[in-house]
Amino acid sequence: MANLAVTVNGRKYVAEIEPRLLLVHFLRDVVKLTGTHIGCVVGRCGACTVLWKNKPVKSCMVLAIETDGSEIMTIEGLSPNDRLHPLQEAFLAADAVECGYCTPGMVMAAYGLLQKNPAASEDDIKRAISGNLCRCTGYVNIVKAIRSVVVAGKSQGA
Amino acid sequence: MADKIGYERGSEGAYRRKGAERFVRGAASYVDDVQLPDAVYAAFVRSAAARAKIKSLYLSAARGCPGVLAVLAASDIMDGIRPYRGPEGPLADLLIHPLAQSTVHYVGEPVAVVVAESRYQAQDGVDAVAIDYDLLPAIVDPEAALHPDSPLVFDELDSNVAQEVHIASDGVDQAFSGADHVITERLRTQRLAASPIEPRACAAVFDAASGRYTVWSSTVTIHAVRQQLAEALGVRENRVRVIAPDVGGSFGGKVHPYPEEFLVAHLAKRLRRPVKWAETRIEHLTNVRQGRDQIHYLQAAVRGDGRILALKSKIIADFGASTRFINSLPAAALYTTGAYDIQCQQVDAFGVLTNKTPQGPVRGIGKADAAYVIERFMDIVARQLDMDPAEIRMKNFVPEDAFPYRTATGSMLDSGRYPTCLRKALDLAGYEELRRQQLDLRKQGVLRGIGMCLVIEPTSAARRGQGGAYGACRVRMEPSGTVSAFPAYGPQGQGHHTAIARIIADRLGLVPDDVEVFSGDTAEAPYGASAISSRSAVTLMPAVHVAATLLREKILRIAGHVLEIDPGDLRFEKGAVRATGAPERELQLRQITRIAYMDTYRLPPGLDPGLEVTGFFTVPNIIWEPDEKGRRNEFAAVPYAATVAVVDVDATTGRFRIVKYVTVHDCGTTLVPEIVETQHYGSIAQGLGEALFEEVRYDLDGQPLSSTFMDYLLPTVNDIPAIETDHMVTPSPFTPLGAKGGGETGTLGPPAALGNAIEDALTPLRVKVRERPYTSDRLWKAINEAAS
Repeated sequence: MANLAVTVNGRKYVAEIEPRLLLVHFLRDVVKLTGTHIGCVVGRCGACTVLWKNKPVKSCMVLAIETDGSEIMTIEGLSPNDRLHPLQEAFLAADAVECGYCTPGMVMAAYGLLQKNPAASEDDIKRAISGNLCRCTGYVNIVKAIRSVVVAGKSQGA
Repeated sequence: MADKIGYERGSEGAYRRKGAERFVRGAASYVDDVQLPDAVYAAFVRSAAARAKIKSLYLSAARGCPGVLAVLAASDIMDGIRPYRGPEGPLADLLIHPLAQSTVHYVGEPVAVVVAESRYQAQDGVDAVAIDYDLLPAIVDPEAALHPDSPLVFDELDSNVAQEVHIASDGVDQAFSGADHVITERLRTQRLAASPIEPRACAAVFDAASGRYTVWSSTVTIHAVRQQLAEALGVRENRVRVIAPDVGGSFGGKVHPYPEEFLVAHLAKRLRRPVKWAETRIEHLTNVRQGRDQIHYLQAAVRGDGRILALKSKIIADFGASTRFINSLPAAALYTTGAYDIQCQQVDAFGVLTNKTPQGPVRGIGKADAAYVIERFMDIVARQLDMDPAEIRMKNFVPEDAFPYRTATGSMLDSGRYPTCLRKALDLAGYEELRRQQLDLRKQGVLRGIGMCLVIEPTSAARRGQGGAYGACRVRMEPSGTVSAFPAYGPQGQGHHTAIARIIADRLGLVPDDVEVFSGDTAEAPYGASAISSRSAVTLMPAVHVAATLLREKILRIAGHVLEIDPGDLRFEKGAVRATGAPERELQLRQITRIAYMDTYRLPPGLDPGLEVTGFFTVPNIIWEPDEKGRRNEFAAVPYAATVAVVDVDATTGRFRIVKYVTVHDCGTTLVPEIVETQHYGSIAQGLGEALFEEVRYDLDGQPLSSTFMDYLLPTVNDIPAIETDHMVTPSPFTPLGAKGGGETGTLGPPAALGNAIEDALTPLRVKVRERPYTSDRLWKAINEAAS
């Protein structure tokens, strides 16, 4: 067992964990934040995308112990005051959500992009979410939603 | 018909999908998100062999692993879970056990289950189980498996043929002897995996005091799961409550009850602890029923002018080691003539068992194979006759004045304007100009191809022993004047709640926000079918409409009695009922609900109290009983879509680029146009995956070669070309709302249209493209074989 101290959505967590524990299982089973989903555990589907040190990562590809002393942000951290982030609003307005399972990972991948590149082009957006699979929407409205945030000048928040 | 739903697009403010906010917040609750204190975790030991006898099973090491609470094999659950019989036909002779007995039939078949305090410990337990197999040669080729001398997938059966469908019109042989051309072809659809992004999951709690089970399952079919669970566990179904909370897509994969549900429920009772299980992607890709995988041999009698006089089809469907209802074979056999008026037809279809994962639906079942086959075949016939592919289709389409139309198999095409739809797609694509450009580009050495198709996608299947012909919804007006609705089943992303709220709000003068929808729980849902076969717009929404109308009539009757006005002179308006022409004479809904629930002495004489009704709607055009020629109608409504695709093929690499993708879709009346549009994009994307690279592959030993997302590829955002869509509305005459269902038609377009486009592009090289998906290595090989 190993000791882990990590900040998730601004809150500090200390836990004794197995070194083999994946970050996604730590977030879901230990911290009990279930907005981060599991789809493949080989880093292909992106349903488990979170921000680690401000960069989008697939949390099934990271051992929880690697994040010791660092900061994680999950979908639950995106609207801490209950007010939706412009990206979340845009996903609803553009009908970019169907079954919703890929949505948190998709939003976090987009959030990571817009933090770095607030003026992201359509190509930038496609590149940023190319590691996130959606089986429902055909991506059309997802790209539209992310792009609308850029166009509205709300990439950095409302 | 089209104006039966009174709301205007956007009349209730900006469009919002009902209840979607929890998804963007990460606050939804899928099965594995359900928090059950003190839960333990199950993991499955699965067969590593496609066909083998289990010589010995070593469980003791697993039983000694830290945290492991139980390790059970078939012999340990004999008194806990009853085996079930297969469906009709030869499979009815099979007794099927949730864990393999002495024989395994496919890689991924559950052999044992491990329960432990944590997920990782359960997996450790699985890894500690060893199995000694007596390997037998796997049966992987369905055509070889059909041979009388073939070894058997199930020793208990006489052959590997699990199902047969034969339908024949009179005069087939005469039509062939009198034909100008007889054209034959073999076409095949590859095996597909449904692959919703949420894999399957289930969890169960047993309450010893009441003897009741609560089972959470990421299923589409709560009622069927409950019924089969009860049978398997040997309890009455009212002791089993099944809850499908948020479900992350299905696409066919979550339609059927699976053994894991039986075992998890059994374990919850056995261990007196809540038990959870979450499927891994490898399990999903090897154990969840897989789709398509049919071989069609076609033979057409064709007149010199391109009119098809008769069609013979022999279908061989690879069922894998299926032991459940198999609807893909009849669905294919009934629709081999597609959108065409070919009244002379013979179909001989065989469902063949092999040592592969059991077969089932993947976004379209059987009909998808048939649509692909006939649409590729029309191009093949056109090519042989040197005709334009649009012209041959126009010559053979079911005429627009012939609906409702019965095909030679008895299937009913409810309504349609096929020539108009294809013409519209051709015009939208600029077909004539595209053909001119194609010739110019060929001169420059560019291999451009234009492909088209018009696919039909019959919806709302209903069959003897399986039901499916009706929808049901319970609706209650609450004392506050708001409404709670309880449909028979819930969505897996299709947006049912949005449509239900709109229909009810429209009937009762409310806004959709006044309506809350509760679904996915057998404790509160009326018994009914499930969200399969694109049935919700066809059967469920009319049932919602019926329920809302019943409620409306009752409210008007109460109001009319109290106000002493004929109910016919009353109308609903913003939470009240008002007299037409005398708006000061009104009752607020709250006043009416008070009478219905509290001051019942004020009700009209003889009227029951309460404002709670259940609405049903049964589609009227199912023909359940096959006639002496095998003809019947299993599907209520038939949406369709025309597609024109343009591709450029690079002959040196075998890669192709989609230059243009145009589609015109007709699913009758669209209840929520925004949802239809989003569904249609997703449906097309799934079809693109099918055309581009999705393929479940097995080697000669029956070992799956595509068991992770590294080798079973789903389309990413970069695989989706610009899609131009247009819609037509030809309402179904058989449903009160005119809707036909729109979830699957888009999927059928890309494999046919792109196949035709690629072959068209390769015309100068005389390359035939008959195998899917159209991967670059496959095309490259075909191009090089044609050149040598």
